[in-house]
Amino acid sequence: MKLPLRQYYGLLATYLAPQRRRALWMAGFLLASIALRLVNPQIMRYFIDAALGGGELNNLLTAAALFLGIAVVGQALAVGATYFSEQVAWTATNALRFDLVAHALKLDLSFHKQHTPGELIERMDGDVNKLSTFFSRFIINILGSVLMMIGVLALLYREDWRVGLALTLFAIGGLYVLLRLREFATPFWEKERQINAEFYGFLGEHLSATEDLRANGATGYVIDRFRVILRKWLPIRLKANLAGYAMWMTNVGVFAVGTMIAFGLGAYLWQISAITLGTVYLIYNYTELLRDPIAQLRFQLVELQQAEAAIKRIETLLATQSRLPEGADGQLPDGPLALDFTQVGFSYADEPDERVLQEICLRLEPGRVLGLLGRTGSGKTTLARLLLRLYDPTSGELRIGNVNPATIPLQRYRQRVGMVTQDVQLFQATVRDNLTFFNPAIPDERILTVLVELGLDQWLRTLPQGLETELAAGGAGLSAGQAQLLAFARIFLTDPGLVILDEASSRLDPATEQLLERAVDKLLHNRTAILIAHRLGTVQRADQILILENGRIVEQGDRIALVANPDSRFAHLLRTGMEEVLV
Amino acid sequence: MVTIQPKVTVAPFLWRLIRYRPWLYLVDIVAWVSISLSELLPGLLAKFFFDALAGEAPFGLNVWTIVALVGAAALVYIMAIFSGGLVDIRHRFTMSALLRHNLLTTLLKRPGAAALPGAVGEVINTFRDDAETVENTISWTVDQVSIFVFVVAAVGTMVSINPRIALFTLLPLAAIVLTARAASHRIERYREASRTATERVSGAMGEIFGAVQAIQVATAESHVLEHFRKLNAERQRMMVRDSVFERMLDSLYGNIGAVGTGLILLLTASVMRDESFSVGDFALFVYNLGMLTEFMRGFGNFLAHYQQAGVSLNRMVALLQGAPAATLVTHQPLDLDKETGDKETRDKETGDKETREKKIERLRLLAVKGLTYHYAQSKARGEGDGVENAVHGIEDVSFQVTQGSFTVITGRIGAGKTTLLRTLLGLLPKQAGEVCWNGEPVTAPAEFFTPPYSAYTPQAPQLMSAPLKDNLLLGLPVTDGELERALHQAVLENDLATMPDGLATVIGPKGVRLSGGQAQRTAAARMFVRQPALIVVDDLSSALDVNTEQILWDRLFTLTAQGNGHQPACLVVSHRRPALRRADQIILLKEGRVEDVGKLDELLLRSEEMRRLWQGEEGG
Repeated sequence: MKLPLRQYYGLLATYLAPQRRRALWMAGFLLASIALRLVNPQIMRYFIDAALGGGELNNLLTAAALFLGIAVVGQALAVGATYFSEQVAWTATNALRFDLVAHALKLDLSFHKQHTPGELIERMDGDVNKLSTFFSRFIINILGSVLMMIGVLALLYREDWRVGLALTLFAIGGLYVLLRLREFATPFWEKERQINAEFYGFLGEHLSATEDLRANGATGYVIDRFRVILRKWLPIRLKANLAGYAMWMTNVGVFAVGTMIAFGLGAYLWQISAITLGTVYLIYNYTELLRDPIAQLRFQLVELQQAEAAIKRIETLLATQSRLPEGADGQLPDGPLALDFTQVGFSYADEPDERVLQEICLRLEPGRVLGLLGRTGSGKTTLARLLLRLYDPTSGELRIGNVNPATIPLQRYRQRVGMVTQDVQLFQATVRDNLTFFNPAIPDERILTVLVELGLDQWLRTLPQGLETELAAGGAGLSAGQAQLLAFARIFLTDPGLVILDEASSRLDPATEQLLERAVDKLLHNRTAILIAHRLGTVQRADQILILENGRIVEQGDRIALVANPDSRFAHLLRTGMEEVLV
Repeated sequence: MVTIQPKVTVAPFLWRLIRYRPWLYLVDIVAWVSISLSELLPGLLAKFFFDALAGEAPFGLNVWTIVALVGAAALVYIMAIFSGGLVDIRHRFTMSALLRHNLLTTLLKRPGAAALPGAVGEVINTFRDDAETVENTISWTVDQVSIFVFVVAAVGTMVSINPRIALFTLLPLAAIVLTARAASHRIERYREASRTATERVSGAMGEIFGAVQAIQVATAESHVLEHFRKLNAERQRMMVRDSVFERMLDSLYGNIGAVGTGLILLLTASVMRDESFSVGDFALFVYNLGMLTEFMRGFGNFLAHYQQAGVSLNRMVALLQGAPAATLVTHQPLDLDKETGDKETRDKETGDKETREKKIERLRLLAVKGLTYHYAQSKARGEGDGVENAVHGIEDVSFQVTQGSFTVITGRIGAGKTTLLRTLLGLLPKQAGEVCWNGEPVTAPAEFFTPPYSAYTPQAPQLMSAPLKDNLLLGLPVTDGELERALHQAVLENDLATMPDGLATVIGPKGVRLSGGQAQRTAAARMFVRQPALIVVDDLSSALDVNTEQILWDRLFTLTAQGNGHQPACLVVSHRRPALRRADQIILLKEGRVEDVGKLDELLLRSEEMRRLWQGEEGG
């Protein structure tokens, strides 16, 4: 069994060093509680020998009372040690988790495109939690168990070297056998995991296909396959779980051997009158005390070994670098921003052959509005993402306000560009935090002014705690229109010079629709804007039109001119209704 | 899942489950009682050992015999564990397998397009976790019996040795157990709080990474992280409280052993001197006390287990969506050991095949009258109402299909085309109207509209991760010739030639990924191979290139026009020009109602809606 001690040390040093004092407290409590547990068998020996030797009743009673007191104090110390170890562990893991989330937030979208939120949660919470047991238990359990074992064995040597030696060999042998057993069991567990995955994969696929299965008369076939998997599963389950039971069985066997050693040696030494009956009991008692540390060590060493994979994954994550180089010291001009695309092309890093955008040339004057049209997958969203500098173009040049965005510090740049997307991301947090993105520096008056401007004040009044009202996870309880308006409010609070508006394609009720129209009016005022439009009404606001198809511009020009030209695609779209082309 | 279901009573369900394999359950109990009784042996042997040393060996046992007996007792114990494990694993597996089987069969009997009440992931959770909870509860009852037997035996031994000392040591034990029990409510509260705090942290992580673009765009990274830090700190507080309290409870139990031992010491101080209470008795008392503590921890909490099982059963019953709750625990053969019997049981379950095949009558006329289906309006989002007087679904749709005819359903997006097909086939439960097959009303459309009467290719067909052939046949027995014809019909032969293992090629997550067009044509072949009297297709061409599409339409027209008396009728949703041109009749839907029915020329003449659609669909 290999333990990656170097990595462990690195982590321990980084995250435990700041809490040295607490760690010391923890160690102190731990040592004390171990010492007390070692003392008690000695008292019992005294008691037995004294009782059998007809000692004073008072002495016996004192010994009994002492035993009781030590037992209770020992437990209290153990609770104290737990408190400190938990604090240490949680402080350390929280710091690590925080660092990971902060790091991931800095990474560009190409990273997030490859890793789903679920996967990242698994990595940052699941893996880090595995380490939390490592942080807390490493000292408490591993160190504690080792100390306990050494203490017990040392005290046994003190009684008689033969007993000490025999039980030392027993402890090492027992631990070895139990650890080897796990290696024997692992392949069975692996098989069980596989068939488990196969079963739920089967279930998931077939439950998503009920329509296909019913209408093609294949439900009987599904039940057949279900039974086949069950039939395959049962023997695998039996073996895997029996391998688990083997652990228990071996435990029983190993400790029976321990008891036999203790009894055998005790009896022999007693028969040659080398020790008292109390000492025989002491040996038996200490042998029993070895159970716990051996079991703990077996368990913890395995955990420690498994933590290796978690540590590796965490290190990989921390080593991932953003593909977006941080800009130098460029600055955007104030007010609305001009746009210049020169032969811009883009493909995603993981699919370099698929050109998502090609030869995009475009000039948009400050304060003008561009209507962007095209089917799903035509490259509209990617174009918007380039403007937000979520990606950099792979070819050509992009200038905003006559500056190359890559020369401006990322945060500074993005403060001047805003976007309202179709699906509004809401947090399980207060209305205020949702509007300000948790920025406590934005004063309530400003938030309220914006809400009044957007006509959301009436909605706000219905909330039990106003801005402090907590929104449910995923924004449940809000209508699509309200969520859209909240997204607008966010933009107004940051006041950018370029806005990108991905219009909601779902139908809204007339009242909300009207509110939204007004919000769009305000948003476009004195700003350069790109409208990803889904409805004719919205396109009317655009000064310029651009139609994308398969990543290329197929038509571009002044809206009025395009409307006037009956052969233009745009004019054709207006005649036939946009629906078929845009969704 | 929002459906409110009546609460089920747990006991009858568990009882019915236990009665599925009563002997297995009984053997399970016997095995586990043997295990717990074996745990008494080391204590007894310790007593014998010390008594033997003191020269009072029971049954004249030699010290060394006792040492050997320790080994023998361990072997007995190990054997007991082995057999107990074997039986329990099997019993547990059988219990949850039956639940899962019954859930699956019920879900497969639901209208196919509305089979699940929630997301697939949610349903799978129920299959996995809730079935396991119930399995655990049943196994837990076995534990209780064995614990009870152990406690009785252990206490009995102690009382028989010295009732006074036994009483005085066991009483405080009982008191501590009761205290700890009382405190366990608190630990559950703490657990709940720490779980909530944990969920908030992982929830926040999900939200943060789900909104990473929005956060980056808003340059809100540092503020969001501050929020995250607060949630983390709260979680730490809750978790520490939770584990410290749990450790305190642990110590409480730990104290039972220690305090008990201390009490024994106090009480035996006088008796041990006059040797009426031997060191051996002492060893046995200490051992039994320790074991009793362990066992007492596993005992009880009846209410908690019962409630958990109740929650899980309720969730499973909710999944049945109206099927009688008892369906969940009906005794069905699972055939865990033998392979035979599958076919017979299956045929019994899915309706008698043979009588069906005799009755099969080729389609002469399919008549649909007043078919209606409305989707439940989602109130939460507050959309829709008032803006549109369009139906959310279909309303009063009537038409007829004759043998060998080619009918196209067309209309704009959202006009109700797919809903119409689904309702007709029983994949959605119709709310009004009637469907007649050769003049006979179809009472259970979901049962009826399956091969050989009809087969269906949905708009986004689902294929399984399995060999291509299995995907096509789904268990149907056919000849090679029939399979080949179906592949040809679906224009799949060229794709097949390029696949590494031909029909044995595994597709899906762990195999070859099919393109959208290939998936659609595979689904089409799956339909053709069933040789139905009525072919139903939803938007077959959406992922096909122009050439393949042309060939596919041509072969379909040939099929319907073969004129041998067995030609199937075709009912397809499409907006493609080749289909519209060749259609014997077009059913034009608008906002859930039939706008017009007729041939293309007629409709182009008289319907503005048809002209619009025809215009929009250029090329082709």
